[in-house]
Amino acid sequence: MRRLVVVAAALAALALPAPAFAHATLDHTSPGFRQRLERTPTQVRLEFDQGVKVFRNSIEVLDANGKLYSGAARSAGPAKQVVTAPVRRLPKGFYTVRWHAMSADGHVVAGVYTFGVRHAAPPPTESYGASGPTRTEHVVRWAYFVALALLLGGLAFRLLIVRGPLPRRAERRFYALTGIGAVGVLEVGIVAFLLRAEDALQLPFGQLLYGDLSPIAGGTRFGTAFIAMTLGFALVSAFLYLAWLTERTILLWPALLLGLGFASGLSLSGHSAADAGSSGLSELADWLHLSAATIWIGGLVQLSAVVWPTAPELRRTAFLRFSRLATVLVAVLVAAGVYLSILRLPHVHDLWSEGYGRVLLVKLGLVCVALAWGGLHKLVAVPAVERGDGRILARLPRSLAGESAVAMAVLLAAAVLVDSKPPPRPVSPASAQPPAARVP
Amino acid sequence: MQPKAEMVHWMFATGFLFLGLCLFAEALVGQEVWRRRRWRAYLWPGLAFGMGVLMWPVMTFFTNSAIHMLAHSAWAQVMMLAGAAELGRVRGKLKSDLWLLTVPLALVVSGTAFLVHEQNPWFFQRSAFLHHLIGWTVLGASVFPLVRAFRTRSVVANSGFALTFVVLAIFLYCDRDLAPIFGHLSPVAGAPHR
Repeated sequence: MRRLVVVAAALAALALPAPAFAHATLDHTSPGFRQRLERTPTQVRLEFDQGVKVFRNSIEVLDANGKLYSGAARSAGPAKQVVTAPVRRLPKGFYTVRWHAMSADGHVVAGVYTFGVRHAAPPPTESYGASGPTRTEHVVRWAYFVALALLLGGLAFRLLIVRGPLPRRAERRFYALTGIGAVGVLEVGIVAFLLRAEDALQLPFGQLLYGDLSPIAGGTRFGTAFIAMTLGFALVSAFLYLAWLTERTILLWPALLLGLGFASGLSLSGHSAADAGSSGLSELADWLHLSAATIWIGGLVQLSAVVWPTAPELRRTAFLRFSRLATVLVAVLVAAGVYLSILRLPHVHDLWSEGYGRVLLVKLGLVCVALAWGGLHKLVAVPAVERGDGRILARLPRSLAGESAVAMAVLLAAAVLVDSKPPPRPVSPASAQPPAARVP
Repeated sequence: MQPKAEMVHWMFATGFLFLGLCLFAEALVGQEVWRRRRWRAYLWPGLAFGMGVLMWPVMTFFTNSAIHMLAHSAWAQVMMLAGAAELGRVRGKLKSDLWLLTVPLALVVSGTAFLVHEQNPWFFQRSAFLHHLIGWTVLGASVFPLVRAFRTRSVVANSGFALTFVVLAIFLYCDRDLAPIFGHLSPVAGAPHR
């Protein structure tokens, strides 16, 4: 009898969780995601895969200023799986559709998308009401940069600086650090995408889990970069793992090249690609800036956390080689950074009058500290290491760790900068008025 | 350009079927005989690792709800982890027996992800029924690799572990709403969809 009760309880436990989940999925919308219409629509129509309960405000159509253009929503279809809302005549512009409905189990599903009337629709991350990046997003982006530096910098260091076989302990630590970087890039990338989606959908986390992310994944540069970079870095992780498993360093080459290639996703989806004045050159400069920074910072970490404590016989060679590489990297970093700063801040006073400029000033200050520290290594430590000065060699690990810490702070400033909006570029009188042919 | 959802399910079902048959053959003939050819030792963990890598495209291209995305990423990661740990053991790079626990961990995470990501109750439609069934089957079957970690020669544990993947493959082959059986049991399920 007791056994029967246990079995019955187990079966009940198996069956109980099921009714807790019964969420509807959006199958089709009219107008479509980011669709450009030439005439005002008469209604907004959403089709779900199952019946839903509709509220008066289940569909809200808002213009760029938040003015409501939609009427009361009602359900249609044999199973009440269609929701429609009438729409007043829409002037030229872009519109945000915010929708929510209740599934059969009482859970709310929701989403947001945009469309335009004789006007291009922006991505949902720029819809009406979408909030800007939060402090959490700054931290997450910083963690992403750190992970990228650990991965790409580690790979470049192993392939360009310490090319031969490493002592077993050093090899283990190298793979541990780059492995953390690879996993970090994937995990933090997913968190960053969800946070951006949360901004756009403006939903608490519990409801976000059932939010429709396809307009963000498929309809924004950020989403496309997320897809490409996730796939790319999954491959990079596989190559890194196979290099460790088979002890073939040559497999690290495809990992590094793929990693650098897919890191361009950040440059192709950020300010350098999307803002006014951006071009192929600005995208290239951004990618070079990012690549040089990650290789420099990741290399510093490898030098201070792998070579110094675990491979004393390689310290001298590694330090001198890295010093030469760092000079080239810093030159690329500074040249690309100066070009991008001029592009985004056309006036010098933007540096203190605009929020973006002020963050850039903080970043420049930290970069100056890091460069001065690097210069000290180049001018004082390199000659001392070349002549085998034991006193300097003993102090170097702490100094390298300090430089790495400053470099991490630079990455934090970079993370805030990437999430900030550069000031709008001045509009020339010729381009202020749209061409006559485009005016309706 | 995207393949249909059922085709993706069938591709993974084929992978699991092959994986299960390899493991079953190993369970039947014993590890010594199975590993007379050195490459055979790498077969199932390599396949699991590769399937984990292939799960990432599924994760990134099917984003109609965040929970689906997270579930697919969990499957991708645990399949890669379990395959990688076993490959590391076969290769002699990982010495600790604790790495054997990655497989039961992978099954527990996978089963939980199946149950949490299914948004509908058991009898809502066929795919919902199968998702619940797969979730609980995989969760329950995590006992087999757990026993296997401590009693590596147990025929029951090894066979049970192997057959878990065969059963999983069969469930995945059935897991779409194209056939009429079990299809759309709920009146609010709407028109057939993928």
